[in-house]
Amino acid sequence: MNFIPALSAMQWVAIASVPPAIISLYFLKLKRQPVEVPSTYLWTRTIEDLHVNSIWQRLRQSLLLFLQLLILLLAILACLRPGWRGTKLIGDRFIFMVDTSASMSATDVGPTRLDAAKKQALAFIDQMESSDVAMVISFSDVPRIEQAFTNNRSSLRQAVNKIKQTNRRTNISEALRHASGLANPGRTSEAGTSDVQVADALPATMYIISDGGVPAVPDFSPGNLTAKYIKIGTATPKNIGIVAFSTQRNSEKPGQLQAFARLENSGEEDIEVDVALYLDGGLVDASSVAVPTDGAEGVNFVLNDIESATLKLEVQYNDDMSLDNAAFATINTPRRARVLVVTPGNDALKFAITTTAASKVADVSFAEPATLETKEHETLALSGAYDLIIYDRCVPKMMPESNTLFIGRVPPAEGWSAEAASPSPLVIDIDRLHPLMHLVELGSILIYESLPIKGPEGATSLIDADSGSLLTIAPRQGFEDVALAFELVGTYPDGDVNAKTNWPRRKSFPVFVMNALRYLGGARAGLAVKGSQPGQPIKLHTEVPAEQITVESPTGVHTKVPRESQNSFIFSHADELGVYVVREGSEREAGQHFAINLFDSRESDLVPREVIDIPYFDETTEQVGVHASIAEPSRKEMWKWLLIGGLIVLIFEWYVYNRRVYL
Amino acid sequence: MTTTESTPLLSPQLLAQLERLELVSRKIFRGRLKGERRSKRKGQSVEFADFRNYVPGDDIRFIDWNLYARLDKLFLKLFLEEEDLHFYTLIDTSSSMDFGEPTKLQYAKQLAAALGFIGLCRADRVKIEALGDSRRGAAPAIRGRASMWRMLEQLNSIEPGNNISLADGVKDFCLRNTGQGILVLITDLMDKAGYESALRFLLAKNIDVYVIHVLSQAEIEPDVTGDLRLVDCEDADVAEITVSRPLLNRYKQTLATFIGGAREYCTRRGMSYLMTSTETPVEQLVGSYLRQRGLVR
Repeated sequence: MNFIPALSAMQWVAIASVPPAIISLYFLKLKRQPVEVPSTYLWTRTIEDLHVNSIWQRLRQSLLLFLQLLILLLAILACLRPGWRGTKLIGDRFIFMVDTSASMSATDVGPTRLDAAKKQALAFIDQMESSDVAMVISFSDVPRIEQAFTNNRSSLRQAVNKIKQTNRRTNISEALRHASGLANPGRTSEAGTSDVQVADALPATMYIISDGGVPAVPDFSPGNLTAKYIKIGTATPKNIGIVAFSTQRNSEKPGQLQAFARLENSGEEDIEVDVALYLDGGLVDASSVAVPTDGAEGVNFVLNDIESATLKLEVQYNDDMSLDNAAFATINTPRRARVLVVTPGNDALKFAITTTAASKVADVSFAEPATLETKEHETLALSGAYDLIIYDRCVPKMMPESNTLFIGRVPPAEGWSAEAASPSPLVIDIDRLHPLMHLVELGSILIYESLPIKGPEGATSLIDADSGSLLTIAPRQGFEDVALAFELVGTYPDGDVNAKTNWPRRKSFPVFVMNALRYLGGARAGLAVKGSQPGQPIKLHTEVPAEQITVESPTGVHTKVPRESQNSFIFSHADELGVYVVREGSEREAGQHFAINLFDSRESDLVPREVIDIPYFDETTEQVGVHASIAEPSRKEMWKWLLIGGLIVLIFEWYVYNRRVYL
Repeated sequence: MTTTESTPLLSPQLLAQLERLELVSRKIFRGRLKGERRSKRKGQSVEFADFRNYVPGDDIRFIDWNLYARLDKLFLKLFLEEEDLHFYTLIDTSSSMDFGEPTKLQYAKQLAAALGFIGLCRADRVKIEALGDSRRGAAPAIRGRASMWRMLEQLNSIEPGNNISLADGVKDFCLRNTGQGILVLITDLMDKAGYESALRFLLAKNIDVYVIHVLSQAEIEPDVTGDLRLVDCEDADVAEITVSRPLLNRYKQTLATFIGGAREYCTRRGMSYLMTSTETPVEQLVGSYLRQRGLVR
């Protein structure tokens, strides 16, 4: 606390002479009003008694004197301009950006980092001058404007208090675009829309209140936006997080299931933790892992084959962030792929696709090419009734809502083309890494002729031959189309219908058919629905066409999801971490499960960053990026409050004088 | 202060009410003239009192001849003598009595008139005097209902401003009046020298004393605010006060102590004390309070 006297010496002398003047006026006994009374007998006796009393009695009688002296004291104090070191915001337009990503739930600063960030934002709002305007944006992987520009501080406070923790990852780029759109003319805060001015574009100061775990934003230009980064979090937090967890069938031992997890330690000490694996809530295995500081360690569990279950992996360690201490995985009941083979007749294919192994993974039905013309087939194909349609030497009028395998024909979709048939192609290379070509050997096969097929953009050649690609795979709106460039059975120029390749006689052919059923048929062998990260939309399919599905979140919130166009369901409320249950139509039984996990090394790394890596040139530090800073110190003055206090005392004095309030 | 001066001291309704009342003395005194009151003296009323042996010289008209016939002895029948009563009213006319609404003096006059009228109706000897009024000569004692107008005239002629101390006034009265009877002292007791010595004179006279302490409402509940210089209307004594809640509370305490002291002083000495406010109607005071105290019945 210090003082800055606001008056000159003469003025001080003048103001200092006022209190003695008031007191002397009281001592001089301002003219009392004479009143004639029958007798002063009783009054004299009364005041005699009072005179005997303490001086306080006398003081109490001159309440007004005290009030007047108090008013004067407050006025003098106000003239002294008492104040103390405080902080002041720079500029008059502010954007407070509060990080709500998963890492902000860390408890290294109490109660959580988000609470500390909100407290900091509230402190900034308190420091605003009455003419300043500000807005509040919260961001995780998506920004959210909590409060648009306003000078109403209570609205801003309310907006800050309303900010909620999310389990999402951090992505500041959208939030920065919002902020910069509001500060720079000629930009919008909405990407992809026409240029609409959403607010007066004026220079503004942006306060990013975050722990700095923000991915780099390469294409951002701050314009006349000044950025300040307020770092939240202690320098040495301790955290062990699961950054990956997946299950896989053991390819060597068919009856076994493997679960892998990866743990990262962002703390400063090497830590040995216990990791427990729960199967449908029951503990099945546990392991102890030593994770070095700033390092990672894998953990591996082997389970017996399970048809359907939910797995939970838990790190039993009390660290600063609990969100990443548990991970979930789901194993759904294997469902057989629905496959339609449209062929004029192909014994080799029929033989390979009706094996015992194939019938376990797929439900295969056959149809003549003439069926393609029927309305019924068109409806089924477009409603997504099949997972895979194999077109043997025929093409549909429209591409179906399913994966396709074309044999000896070019898919009638955009981008597909073929050159003239070339005789006896020679296989040069195959893509053995692709699941379709898993264990497929094409060393000594003979092919009569092939159509060198070119796929659309994004297509991959799986079998290269001297004449071009023999097997091409290309994505199409969530599906995949595969084209085999040669016929298995065909008509020779002399009209003879016979085998056009000896591949079906090789062991690799049924293997390829099995691969196609597994991969294209979506027979995902029970490890089906891929887990996702919080906040991202999940695409779900049902076994039978259903109008809607119900998704139950880990905390029991039910959400009805209507069907989208392709017999798929887009669930976009996966904000909680854990296992979600999907029920099809009105079924009570859980149809499938999927897991939402954080799995983000950046969020699990709780050490607050010193710099936010955005293309921003900081003039004060002459460095690129926003460095952690604190608000600039400035003087906090209290003369306004003193004057308000004086005014209140003055009103009270007026009241006492008029109403004769006696103490 | 003067608004009540013009109002009649006794209203017709009050007169009708007072006619039914009678002054009561707790002591039996000897009167001077024959009146309607029993006297210590045996005399000639119709009420039989006693017999006694005849002694020569007695009035033979009172011999009970029936008894003589039966017992052959002369007995004299004694009758109670009915006599009049001295009823004195002393009114304090100091300047302090000229306050209140109506003024305490006006109130005192009304009260004196009411009590005096009762006395006149019962053929008592009524004497109304203002304290310190000796220079005007002793007020005459009046008797009989017809003298009411004289009494009222006499009361109306009483003016405030005789700032004689209470003790001196009472002493002066006692010296001039020797008759026994009832004395009603109407005063505000506001004498800086104290009221005790005054009352002591009355005590010595061995009469039936009633002290009626009249206070104005402004004295009981002072309605004053601010910084004041209180000036005593009698001796111009000054008291400077700043009105505050504790001061008012203190004043009320002092007043209560003062009243309590006076009551105790009177009660201990066989005098009747009654405090009244000028707000209390005279009718109520006479018809209710004084009746309870036994001054009238």
